[in-house]
Amino acid sequence: MKRTTLFLIFGYLLFALIFVACSSSGGDEEAATDTGSSDTAAESADSGGGNQTIVIGFTASQTGSQNVSSTRQVNGLNLWMSELNAAGGIALSDGTKVTFEAVTYDDESNTDRVQELYTRLATEDNADFLISPYSSGLTAASAVIAEQYGKVMITTGAASDETYKQGLTTIYQAYTPASRYLTGAIDLMATLDADITKVAFVYENDKFSTDVVDAALAYAEEKGYEVVLHEGYNSDTTDFGPFINKIQDAGPDAILGGGHFQDGSTFARQLSEKNIDVDFFALLVAPPEPDFADLGDAALGVIGPSQWEPLAAFTPDSAAAAGLEWFGPLGEEFVSAYEAAYDGEEPSYHSAGGYAAGLILQQAIIAADSTDPEAVGAALDAMDLLTFFGHIKFDTTAEAHGLQIGHSMVYIQWQEGADGLAKQVVWPAEGATAETLFPLP
Amino acid sequence: MSTVRKYLGLIVTIGVLLMLVAWPAITGKDITRETTFTILLSVALASSLNILLGYTGYVSFGHVVFFGLGGYVGFYLMSAQGMSLWISMLAGGVSAGVLAFLLGKAILRLRGGYFALATIGINEAMRAFINNFEPFGGPTGMTLNFSVYRDYGGAGQALWLSYYVLAALTFIVLIVSYLVRTSKFGLGLLAIREDEDAAEVMGVNAPNVKTWAYVLSAIIPGMLGVLFFFKNGSIEPAPAFRLHFSIEMIVMVMLGGQGTVLGPILGAYGYQSLRGFLLTSPIFKDIQLAVAGVLLLVIVLFVPAGVVGWLRQRVPVLRRALQ
Repeated sequence: MKRTTLFLIFGYLLFALIFVACSSSGGDEEAATDTGSSDTAAESADSGGGNQTIVIGFTASQTGSQNVSSTRQVNGLNLWMSELNAAGGIALSDGTKVTFEAVTYDDESNTDRVQELYTRLATEDNADFLISPYSSGLTAASAVIAEQYGKVMITTGAASDETYKQGLTTIYQAYTPASRYLTGAIDLMATLDADITKVAFVYENDKFSTDVVDAALAYAEEKGYEVVLHEGYNSDTTDFGPFINKIQDAGPDAILGGGHFQDGSTFARQLSEKNIDVDFFALLVAPPEPDFADLGDAALGVIGPSQWEPLAAFTPDSAAAAGLEWFGPLGEEFVSAYEAAYDGEEPSYHSAGGYAAGLILQQAIIAADSTDPEAVGAALDAMDLLTFFGHIKFDTTAEAHGLQIGHSMVYIQWQEGADGLAKQVVWPAEGATAETLFPLP
Repeated sequence: MSTVRKYLGLIVTIGVLLMLVAWPAITGKDITRETTFTILLSVALASSLNILLGYTGYVSFGHVVFFGLGGYVGFYLMSAQGMSLWISMLAGGVSAGVLAFLLGKAILRLRGGYFALATIGINEAMRAFINNFEPFGGPTGMTLNFSVYRDYGGAGQALWLSYYVLAALTFIVLIVSYLVRTSKFGLGLLAIREDEDAAEVMGVNAPNVKTWAYVLSAIIPGMLGVLFFFKNGSIEPAPAFRLHFSIEMIVMVMLGGQGTVLGPILGAYGYQSLRGFLLTSPIFKDIQLAVAGVLLLVIVLFVPAGVVGWLRQRVPVLRRALQ
């Protein structure tokens, strides 16, 4: 009797879970996300009558540590897809209308199943094109599969340079690579004050931050700066006291480094509490996040690189001035469409990166006037255009094929605004919205 | 006939595994190969852990350290020294075995929860060490040039090759596991599991026997690490020493039935195919972790001895066949 009751309870639980699952997938359809299942994908190859449905495959980190950034990236991509489909898709010169459909799985933010899922996308779901997962590690694993099946893959959310230097031929990077993440901050520093000579690098000891800092450090030394401190900290560091003491001993004019949001904001807060006197302070990842303003005075004057900012003023005019072709919506059009589609959520650079990956693919299909992977690959090789996300151009040499060489970071700084702290773009000079606050207050 | 009866347990185990291995080869489909690769990797890892966990009764929470270290040593030899997969796998296995031997001498004196805690500590310490060890790329890790796969007939062929090598390694683990279980050495391990002090009184040299069991359970995970990261194309400290993976291995062993040869195969197969199904099912893919959790709870509540243990208890006729 007791056992029967237990079975009944578990039966109800399972039923409840199935019910929740059905209703949550229904909710997805209401939002601007068109994530078709594998069943519909199989039927979609060519529905005749001059219409063609292209299947785009990717994995998303619906669970695990990369969940937030990955979700924003996927939201951006889905917005691009729904807008394009609503507008009737791409019209090729032979009269074919090309529309898009997504097939996606959860990669759980870890590499165990990424290759299995991308193989499934390439062979079972017959994805015509692939988009990368979020993060460099997952992208490196999926790139092996994309290359093996000759599928063109646009990577977004994957900044590490190494993946593109392994002899791959069908992988194209939308982001500015890690090696150029902080170099702009050094250029900015040079224009501000020639008397800055001593620089300290304090950064998170993980793949991404180390890649960034190694490249920035080499660049700083090349520019004649003296590196007085070069110190990595663990990802879960919460007490920066020992590092701040070392900074005090070294007496730098500028501090560069950081890692991700949590450690970066803690570092900035503790540095401010100890009243460390530096003229210039640039951190990775954390400053562009809107929540960074919660630090109050500690956020004032902090500079951070971002792949994209709503403020960044890329327009058809700036494209014409730079002699580039313009493609896609304006920045403010993207922002308002995104906010309308996702309950007023402000898009982050991850969202913009997801949308840009779609735009890149769209422009390549238009330029190739075909959906043939080889023709699209050739169009990507030849691509040189400006979008709201920035300049897009790929390396075509055998050593680093697909590496992004056109796009560059924008640097924001938190400054006093009319209603408290506000982000301003301070670099590059042509996109700047305010003078740099220098030296730090 | 009596030979068949004697080796029935081994025959059934190998039969089950053969069916699993042959499935992708028969269908020839890449996705079947990838799904089976994930399952076989778990079967081999769970069976290796079973030598320590199931036979000796020592719970190693940080067993993934051997997978990670072996993977790193082998990957370094392949990417930086240009050595072949075969030599690298051998080196990965040897390094994991040596580490287990040294650790065994030190921490196998601990029992129960203390040993389990020590294994977690070792995994974390190894990850921190690799994170700061420049020859292995430090926190950045290492990447394999795509051209390396051309030596094995291109990426497509390399993926099939990895699969067959994995299948061979899985067979080796199972045969070793069976031999251990039916040997005097294995009896010593089982005696330690039941009562270590009594086993020593009966003449089992517990420290030595435990150390060798630890070494045996570490070598194959070291080789598997090399194979997995060769196929993956890159290696970083976080995925190589992922504690979560260790816990999954323990769950698989418990699910199938600890201390049995067949148990880890069924446990790993059941666990991974369930996860694979939930991840890709249109209904469950959004809540796959919750469903997997509930199902595991049901199994642990109602079948604590694992599938094989339960069958052995309920159906005495099967005891000879299910070992």
